Amino acid sequence: MRRREVVQFLGAALALPFIPRGTEAAIKFGAELHLRLGDVPFRTLNRDQQALVTTIAELIIPETDTPGATSVKVPEFIDLILTEWTGDDDRAAFLAGLRDIDVRATAMGSNRFVDLPAAKKVELMTTLDGARADKAGAGLAFARLKALTVYGYFTSQRVEQDILKMQMFFNGYQGSVPFTPAA
Amino acid sequence: MPPMTFDAIVVGSGISGGWAAKELTEKGLRTIVLEAGRPIDPAVDYVEHVLPWEKRYRGMGNRKQVERYQPIQRHTGACDEWSSKFFVNDLDNPYSFPEDKPFYWIRGRQVGGRSIMWGRCVYRWSDLDFTANAREGYGVDWPIRYNDLAPWWSYVEKFVGIQGRRENLPQVPDGEFQTPWPLNAAEQKSRDILLTKFGGERVITNARLAVLTEDHGGRQKCHLCGHCARGCITLSYFSSINSTLPAARKTGRLTLRPFSVVHSVIYDPVKRRATGVRVIDANTKQMFDVNAKVIFLNASAMESTRILLNSATPEFPNGLGSSSGELGHNLMDHIMDGGASGTLPFATDRREVGNRPDAIYVPRFRNVKTKHPDFLRGYGFEGRAFRPGWERGSEMPGFGASFKKSLTGDLGPWVMDFGGFGEMLPRHENYVALDPHLVDAWGIPALRVNCTYSENEKKMQEDMVVSATEMLEALGATDIRPYKEDNPPGLVIHETGTARMGRDPKTSVLNAHNQVWDAPNVFVTDGACMPSTANQNPSITYMALTARAADYAHQLLNRREL
Repeated sequence: MRRREVVQFLGAALALPFIPRGTEAAIKFGAELHLRLGDVPFRTLNRDQQALVTTIAELIIPETDTPGATSVKVPEFIDLILTEWTGDDDRAAFLAGLRDIDVRATAMGSNRFVDLPAAKKVELMTTLDGARADKAGAGLAFARLKALTVYGYFTSQRVEQDILKMQMFFNGYQGSVPFTPAA
Repeated sequence: MPPMTFDAIVVGSGISGGWAAKELTEKGLRTIVLEAGRPIDPAVDYVEHVLPWEKRYRGMGNRKQVERYQPIQRHTGACDEWSSKFFVNDLDNPYSFPEDKPFYWIRGRQVGGRSIMWGRCVYRWSDLDFTANAREGYGVDWPIRYNDLAPWWSYVEKFVGIQGRRENLPQVPDGEFQTPWPLNAAEQKSRDILLTKFGGERVITNARLAVLTEDHGGRQKCHLCGHCARGCITLSYFSSINSTLPAARKTGRLTLRPFSVVHSVIYDPVKRRATGVRVIDANTKQMFDVNAKVIFLNASAMESTRILLNSATPEFPNGLGSSSGELGHNLMDHIMDGGASGTLPFATDRREVGNRPDAIYVPRFRNVKTKHPDFLRGYGFEGRAFRPGWERGSEMPGFGASFKKSLTGDLGPWVMDFGGFGEMLPRHENYVALDPHLVDAWGIPALRVNCTYSENEKKMQEDMVVSATEMLEALGATDIRPYKEDNPPGLVIHETGTARMGRDPKTSVLNAHNQVWDAPNVFVTDGACMPSTANQNPSITYMALTARAADYAHQLLNRREL
């Protein structure tokens, strides 16, 4: 998905930039800022919604031998975007979609998604992943949650530095470097 | 405040104003550059190395603030969380348009103007372009031809520093090039295939860019961070701040005055010359005059024309330069948002290292050798092949550990995008005029813009989609996604015309050397001067025209003819 498509998908006609790379000073500044942002309490998501968003974000990008979505504060980023960036209608649609996810969980035997057994969680998320084109409801909420989780995760300091190992300075462009996907 | 007096005045410090300042000061003229906006300090304002996680919204922009203060500017991608400060506040800088004819006027008011955020693509024209109006009966004939401008293109290209590949294509003549970055593996393979399948008609070549691949003129070669629109601390891309203004300053003859909003040109009916300009200090709102023997208007196409429209006198009640009736008319932009993208089936064992700011170009191939049945003129494609990496994640099915591993350990297949940029015909009915009911934050009458694309441009845009799709099919691409968006003119940010050059004062505003017919010591050398707009990116042509006009002005001054 192109950056422009991501933003349109998230509900605005702003284009996202390319991913920049770090310098020591910038990293230090960013670390401090990140810490401050991380300390911001949730302002839109209530306790139940936090639990739902955190659970799904972590299932989308789980902790493995590298950090997962929760470790790099993706839920906090999602709350920030919902609070300060998202329009009222889009926010309402998203929150309604979260409620719909729990409604679907009820049909599977639990009152809340977070209380479903692990296999049922995966089953419902698989269904929702196939419904990302829905214009409302659980499919829409899952689609936005997935987009924000991916974006919030890969634009976090730890992931850019430690996993993507982003660079800012190159001594010339190379257009044909051998590449093999990580095993 | 008593009037200040200089040899020359340059209005605007952007891409053409910087060139006027450089050329005039280097020829010995004490020159003042009047810039409406604020000064720029690269150490503070350039932000190309600030990372997403240092920005509150990780680069998604301060949406609510931008929607409130920059409802027009926000439509361009570069007006992002890093660079929105380089675009104007639309509330302070209003303009109007009929409800059914939107026009997005994207502006930068600061020292350096839009040369800070420009696209850096530079292509010469050919006589196919210079003769098009005369051949087809649109607008007026250009008063110059390729050979008139070729030495000036060479002159500015050598100073600017341009990377490009020599192709010997008559429709986009080669220039003075540094060695370009190579095409990447997928682009090279695509070039080879298309050269064969289209008999050499459709050529993927390296984008010709004002971005250095070799150190040049005290500026360092590009370090490929990929964020040119945010500034460049190594001065590797051309801007007036990085290049021409320092050269002008070096002469000791430059006075640069930011926060100087030019209201109008002052005209002396006895001498039949302009004597200076009327200026409003942007901070104090105090009005003052600056006098000079020669004036260069380089405020950007529509702003320069706005100044002329605001310079009405009893002799020229519709504005200085209006005696032909063409001042304000023949507004053009390019047309874009027609093309296609697709997934390439090859080079999956290759990746690129380094972030090129621009990549490939497919020069115009319509109406070059054969006539297209549906439209006049032509278009080129800009594009690139890239591997999307983690950015494909929100669209990719799946979740969990394997999903994460794919995003972190694989790059995804190569995606090729071809996006068209086409020529817009000059039409009298596309025009700007003063809005009788609207002024800017400094009380200066603002513009009302009337501009639409014609059927010719719409047909051309449809063909962009068709030909881009054809090329992707020829490459064996899958998941081909044709696209066509119905955006208003202005958004390409190549607005030109409204004070066209010509051979006849009865039908044009400027002569062959960019002098206002009605006031020959006033030169307009930004986009306003263009009788047509070709399909190539225009800035290098403004630069060449400015250098040529400055040289001519200097000759006239030496002969005491101004």
